[in-house]
Amino acid sequence: MKKQSKLILAFLVGFPLVFLTSCGGDVHVEEAIEDVVEEVEEGNQTYYRIPSPDEMFGFIKESGLAFNGELLNPIQNAVNYSDPKMQALNFGVYSADLAYTAAYEEFNETTKYFATIQKMSESIGLSSAFDKTLIERAQANLDNADSLVEITNTSYFAVVDYLEQNEQGDKLGLIASAGWLETIYVVVNTTNYATDKTAVDRLADQKLALDNLLDYLEEYKDNQDVAELLGWFNELETVFASLPEEEDSGSGISFKKKESGKMVLGGGSSISISEEQFNAIRDKVNEIRNNIVKVEA
Amino acid sequence: MKKYINKLVLLAVIIMVPAMSFSQYCNYFHSKYCLQSENEMFKLNGQSKSALFSKGQTSELQIIVYNKQDYRISVCMDENLGSQVKFKIYETKKVKVEKVIETKSMEEEVESCGTCNGTGEADGEECYDCEGVGERTTGNEVEVISKETKIVVEKQKQLLYDNSEDGFSNEIEFTVESTRRLTLEITVPGGGGGDATTKKRGKLMKSSDMGCVGILVEHMTTPVSGFYGSGF
Repeated sequence: MKKQSKLILAFLVGFPLVFLTSCGGDVHVEEAIEDVVEEVEEGNQTYYRIPSPDEMFGFIKESGLAFNGELLNPIQNAVNYSDPKMQALNFGVYSADLAYTAAYEEFNETTKYFATIQKMSESIGLSSAFDKTLIERAQANLDNADSLVEITNTSYFAVVDYLEQNEQGDKLGLIASAGWLETIYVVVNTTNYATDKTAVDRLADQKLALDNLLDYLEEYKDNQDVAELLGWFNELETVFASLPEEEDSGSGISFKKKESGKMVLGGGSSISISEEQFNAIRDKVNEIRNNIVKVEA
Repeated sequence: MKKYINKLVLLAVIIMVPAMSFSQYCNYFHSKYCLQSENEMFKLNGQSKSALFSKGQTSELQIIVYNKQDYRISVCMDENLGSQVKFKIYETKKVKVEKVIETKSMEEEVESCGTCNGTGEADGEECYDCEGVGERTTGNEVEVISKETKIVVEKQKQLLYDNSEDGFSNEIEFTVESTRRLTLEITVPGGGGGDATTKKRGKLMKSSDMGCVGILVEHMTTPVSGFYGSGF
């Protein structure tokens, strides 16, 4: 028998034996099939989630903010991002731009941005997240607003799932952070502090989303790219930290059942924002966003 | 011999494939197996999550719920994990609190020279350094604790909902009146319990003690009810 065959045989015999021994018993093969063992992380794990861009864009569209195509990162820039960190960050930016165009039914732009992130996904090892069915569905529904929003969501969630599944939390951190920042960039640059109260309040609430994001990034700060991004976002957090949280005069936050039977989560504190603070957030967001999308000469 | 190898290959595949694919199998668990709302206004929220759990395990999911939106959160799990999952919702807040911080350091021990004026003795040694009432080092080191009051940011959790007080319901639907950062805490019963805060990594588990848990989050803009505007 060749040496290679011997190795294969040793592996095939030895590997199940290791598992069977781990079960701690003299077991039959049939039992082993029932009780497969796997190494799992035991204990209290914490997962952090950031609202996806579509949730914010759907909301600001309903609140009456107009679409501004000039805020998008031009797709022509995509080929210039050769550094893996910049590719991951701008993949997040383009994903948010895609959600923005889809929410506002800018079909031509949506097509271009979908094609751009699909192409970028190949260079950053995410092409598996864009399966053939998804691409075909997108192409078949380019003029259907609801389907297009659903497809852009599906592609975003597929990327998140793929990265989590493949334990690339650091890359996911870069993509999700840049996507969140692009969302805030669009909102803060289309909102008029004096007239768009709903959007202003939603912007102030991002203080909480940023906390989630920072906690997530902290877990991957050993990665140099994440550490650099964390530095930028910590500067932004300093600006958000100045927003006061005012406690209500009631009994604090709680779930209460209304007469209609509907549960309501209310009470507790609320975040407020002054025009000066709004402008400070806009300036810092614009500065960080510029760091992300800039193209080296 | 060839037949023997084929049997071994088949056996290895049967054993290994389920183990390798467990975590992948969990990936879309929430969208496949958690029952979605019958209200078509609800949309799948990107903060939904599925994960592999072992019996007795507790894990948390941190999400943001926005003002003026309705949410529906439902939990589902593999049958082998049982039928009742413990599900709690906390508000997570960062609060500034005053904290007394103690720092310990080693310092040189000093002793009083008393009335030593250069001619007396302290611990049997002549005390030349003192002039009247003073101190001198003994050559030993002592632990000194200094206290400082600082403003620090702490995370605080407040329990808002516990499904054990709601018939172990595995879903909750609510309207949000002010944006919140929530912690969804999921505990799968069984597994001998143990201290959930003790993090042990890499324990080998039997497949019958493991399974997928999905948390499906759905959202919609809170519907406006009643008559609005002046109308005619």
